[in-house]
Amino acid sequence: MTVETHTKAKLPHLSSDKQLTFIKLAVLSMAAILSFATRLFSVLRFESVIHEFDPYFNYRTTRYLTEEGFYKFHNWFDDRAWYPLGRIIGGTIYPGLMVTSATLYNIMQFLNITIDIRNVCVFLAPFFSSLTTIVTYLLTKELKDEGAGLVAAAMIAIVPGYISRSVAGSYDNEGIAIFCMLLTYYFWIKAVNTGTILWATMTALAYFYMVSSWGGYVFLINLIPLHVLALMMLGRFSARVYVAYSTLYCVGTILSMQISFVGFQPVQSSEHMLALGTFGLCQLYAFAQYLRERLSPANFELLFKALLSTLLATLGTAAVALTVTGKISPWTGRFYSLLDPSYAKNHIPIIASVSEHQPTSWSSFYFDLQVLVFLFPAGLYFCFSKLTDANIFIILYGVLSIYFAGVMVRLMLVLAPVMCIVSGVAASSLLSLHVKDIEPKVEKPDKKKKHENNLVFRSEVGALFVCVLGCLLTSYVFHCTWVTSEAYSSPSIVLSARGHDGARIIFDDFREAYTWLKMNTPEDSKVMSWWDYGYQITAMANRTVIVDNNTWNNTHISRVGQAMASTEEKAYEIMRELDVDYVLVIFGGLVGYSSDDINKFLWMVRIGGSTDRGAHIKEADYYTPAGEFRVDADGSSTLLNCLMYKMSYYKFGLMYTEGGRPPGYDRVRSAEIGNKDFNLDVLEEAYTTEHWLVRIYKVKPLPNRGV
Amino acid sequence: MKYKSLLVFSILLTYYQSDAQNRAKGLEEKVQQLTDLTAKKSIIPLNFNKFKEYVKSPPKDYSFVVMFTAMAPSRRCAICQHVFDEYLIVANSFRFSQLNNNKLFFGIVDFDEGSDVFQMLRLNTAPVIMHFPAKGKPKPADSMDFERAGIHAEAIAKWIQDRTDIQIRVFRPPNYSGAFAFSTLVILAGVFLYIRRKNLEFLYNKQMWAVAAVFFCFTMVSGQMWNQIRGPPFYHRSKNGPVYINGGSHGQFVLESYIVAILNGAVVVGMILMIEAAGGVRSTDIARTTVEGKRRRFQSVVGLVLVCAFFSLLLSVFRAKTQGYPYSFLFK
Repeated sequence: MTVETHTKAKLPHLSSDKQLTFIKLAVLSMAAILSFATRLFSVLRFESVIHEFDPYFNYRTTRYLTEEGFYKFHNWFDDRAWYPLGRIIGGTIYPGLMVTSATLYNIMQFLNITIDIRNVCVFLAPFFSSLTTIVTYLLTKELKDEGAGLVAAAMIAIVPGYISRSVAGSYDNEGIAIFCMLLTYYFWIKAVNTGTILWATMTALAYFYMVSSWGGYVFLINLIPLHVLALMMLGRFSARVYVAYSTLYCVGTILSMQISFVGFQPVQSSEHMLALGTFGLCQLYAFAQYLRERLSPANFELLFKALLSTLLATLGTAAVALTVTGKISPWTGRFYSLLDPSYAKNHIPIIASVSEHQPTSWSSFYFDLQVLVFLFPAGLYFCFSKLTDANIFIILYGVLSIYFAGVMVRLMLVLAPVMCIVSGVAASSLLSLHVKDIEPKVEKPDKKKKHENNLVFRSEVGALFVCVLGCLLTSYVFHCTWVTSEAYSSPSIVLSARGHDGARIIFDDFREAYTWLKMNTPEDSKVMSWWDYGYQITAMANRTVIVDNNTWNNTHISRVGQAMASTEEKAYEIMRELDVDYVLVIFGGLVGYSSDDINKFLWMVRIGGSTDRGAHIKEADYYTPAGEFRVDADGSSTLLNCLMYKMSYYKFGLMYTEGGRPPGYDRVRSAEIGNKDFNLDVLEEAYTTEHWLVRIYKVKPLPNRGV
Repeated sequence: MKYKSLLVFSILLTYYQSDAQNRAKGLEEKVQQLTDLTAKKSIIPLNFNKFKEYVKSPPKDYSFVVMFTAMAPSRRCAICQHVFDEYLIVANSFRFSQLNNNKLFFGIVDFDEGSDVFQMLRLNTAPVIMHFPAKGKPKPADSMDFERAGIHAEAIAKWIQDRTDIQIRVFRPPNYSGAFAFSTLVILAGVFLYIRRKNLEFLYNKQMWAVAAVFFCFTMVSGQMWNQIRGPPFYHRSKNGPVYINGGSHGQFVLESYIVAILNGAVVVGMILMIEAAGGVRSTDIARTTVEGKRRRFQSVVGLVLVCAFFSLLLSVFRAKTQGYPYSFLFK
C-alpha cells in the first residue's frame, strides 16, 4: 500500500499506463527482494553456514561436482561413507540441486565474480524463493489478473510454510523444487489456455527440472492428469487440452527417465499409472470424437460399444498379468500412507517414527499460514463462481494439497504456494470491490439523483473494510516475521543460548571437533559415530564414516548400535571388525544440550538389538527394575558399563557443572552420574571440545604380545 | 452370559470341593479337567479354591497365565475391559492354533469373585497379568509390565513367548464395520444416482461443489486428520473443571478442533457476506433501491464485525497455545 502511494506521488509526469507498469514492477521487485531478505536471519545472526544434516551431504556432492565435472559425478562411487561397503552416489540422488548450483557457480566464475561454492549453496534457496515469487505472480496473473498476482507474490514472499524449508543455509532439494513446481504449473496453464506445442514443451522441460530435483514430482504428475480428467468430465475437453497433455506426457516421461534414480519408474510403478491411463484416455476420446464426426450415429454406437468392451478386457488382463509377474511395482508404503492415513501408523514404523511424517494439528496450520487459513476458503469461493480451465486446476491443486498437508506435516510445503495464490485472488478481489466504493463516483446526470441517499455510508463502509483488511494483512506480516525469526532460523550446527545476564553465548563445538579431526588425524582414518552425524563428518572433516544419514543398510547401523551398547571388550571386537580408528560422541550434559547421544541411546539399543547378531542386547537390561532410564547410581549396571556411557561420562565425575551440586552433575538428565570412577581400557581420549559437546576417542591398537 | 457361566463354574466348584478325593488329584486328571474347561471357554474363570488347586498346588507341568482384574461396572475400571479384550484375543488365538497343547492355560480372577486371591498375592491394583511357571515361584518379570509393553494382544503374546517359549500367532478377528459402512455408502450413492439417472444436472451444480470444497478445507485446517490418526480425548477433565484447549502447541483435543473449525468458519462467512454485499463476484451493478442499499450496508457491517471478532478470538486461542507469541487483536 505505502509503496504504491509513494511511487504515485513521485511520478506525476508519466502517462497513467506507464505509471501502472512502473508500480507493478516496483511492487513485484520489492516482493522478490523481500523474499530474499527475510530468509537471511540466520546468516546475520550466525554466519554463512550450511544448516542441519542433509544439506551437508548436498554441499559435499556439489563441491565434488564443481571440482570433478559432471561425468565423474555421475559415476561417483563414494568410499568415504558406509565403510567398508561404500555408496553409489550418482545413481541414488536427484542431481537437480547440485547441477543448479554448479551451473550458477560456473557462470559467476566466468563473469569473474569469485564467489565461494559454499556461499552459492547457502544463498541458493533464498535466491530461488525470489524466483518463486515472480513465478507466483505470473501464475496468478493467468488465473485472475495482475492485481491478484501482486498480492499473491507479496504473500508467498513471506509465508512461513515455505520459509521453513528455504532459509539461507538450508541447502536442500525442496528449496528449488517449489520453484520448479510452480513454473511447471504456470507453463501448463499457458499450454491449456493456448493449446500450442511450444508451451506444452516448455511444461515438459520444467517438469524435467522438477523430476531432477525432488521426489515430490509424483504429486505433480498425478495432479495434471487429474485436471485433464476433470476437464473431460465437465465437457471442457478440447483440442487445446489434447495437444497440451499429449505433448507433456510424451516429452516429459522420456525426459524424466533420463534421471538414473527415476529410471523406469514412470512406466512401471503404480504412482505414475494415472498419468499413463489419462494419456491413453485422451487418445481414445479424441479418436471417438473424430469417428463421431464421420459416422452415422447408429454405426458409431455399435463400433463404440464393441471397441470399448474389447479395450477394457485387454487392459484389465494386461494389468492383472503385469502385477502378478511383478512388472508393475506394488503400491509403495508412502503412497498408501497418503491415501489411508492410519496405514503408516499401523504398518510402517519407519514412516511413523519420522517427525516430518506426522499429521498436522490446527495450530501448525495456523503457525505456517496465519490469515491464509481463512482467506483460502474465500478465494476458493471466488474460483468456483467463475469457473475456467485454469480455475479448475487451481481448485484441484488446493483441495488435494490441503488433504495431503493434513496427513503429513512435511507437505505443508506444497500447500503454501496454492494458499498464497488463492488467498491473493481473494484479497485482491475484496479490495478492488471495496476500494471502488471509496473513490468518489462520477455521478451520472439525472437518473442517479434519486438514489443518492443510499450511497451515504457507502464510502465509510468501504474505508472501514479496507482498514480491516489492511489490519489482517499487517498482522500477517508481523506473524510471518516473528515465526521466521523465532522458529525457522537456527542452523543447529552452531548453537546459541542466553547466559544469566542475557548475553548470547555461542556454542561452536561441532565445527571445532570436525576441524580437529580434519587437521589431526590420518587421511584414511575411519570414524564411528551414530548415523546422525555421518554427513557432517564426511563433509566437514573429510574422513571415512561407518554409517550416515542415508540409512539404507539397517544391519550396518545395527552393528554400530551394538558397539555403543556393549561393554568395552565386546565393543572392541566390533570396532576391530569395522576397522574403526576414532569414535565420536555428542554429549550435552555439561551445557544442557538435550538432543545428545545419551538421549538417543535407547534407539541405538533398539536398533542394535533388532538384528540376529545383536540378539543379546535387550532393551529391558538398560532400565532400572522400576522401568526407568536413569544414569545415576540407581541406573542399571548394564547401562553404567556400556561403551556409550563410558565415552560420554569419562572424567565427567571430576567436573563441577552447577553451583550447589556435586561434581559430575548431568544438566540434561538432572542427575549426578552413577559411575564416576572408571578408566578406559581399549580407548583413549583424543579430543574434547570447549563445552564438551563433542568428544572424540582413539581406538587403541592391539596390545603387544607378552606385555 | 458371562455371569451365567461364572455361576456354572461356581457350582462346578462346590461340586469339586465336596468331593474329598479331588484334593489329592493326580496330575493327569488335573490337566484333563483343564483341557476340558479350555475346550468350553478359552479363558478359565478362577476363584480362590480353584486358583489354589490348579495354579498354586504342586503337581503340575504346565504354565498358567492369569489375569487379575475387576470387571464389575461398579469398580469403574475402564482399562480392565480393554485389557480383557486383548487378553481374550491372545487366548483365542492360542486355543485355535495348531500348537494348542497342555503346557499353557489361560485363567482370569475377578476381584469380586476371588478377593482372597488378591490378598494372598498382595495385589492392590488391577489389571495385572501374571505368569505362573511350571516349576518354581513367579519372579518379578513374571508379571507383565503394561506401561512399557503396552496392552496390545501382540505385546501380550510376545511377553508370553519370553516367559514360556510358546509362540502364539495373534489372530485378530477382522473388523468388518469399516468395510460394511463404506460399501453401504457406495451402494446408497449408486442407488441414488440410478434413481435420478434421468436428471443428473445437480452433479454440475457449482454451488454444491463450492460448499463441499470449503467444508473440506475447514475439516483439514482444523486438524481433523490429526484427530483421526492420533485419537486424542474429546476434552480434558482436570481438578479445576474441564479444559477445552490443549496447552501445548503439539497437541489438541477433539472439541478444540471443532471450536477452531467454527471460528474459521465464522471468519469466512463474514468475508463472503462482505463479498456479496459489495455486489458479488461479478460486481453487477444491479439497480440499487434504497432498501437494497440499506440491506447491503447492513450485510457488510455484519460481515466486518464477524471477521474482526472471530479473528481476534482465534488469535487469542492460538496465543494461549504458543509460548511467547506476542500478538493479539481486540481481546487478550
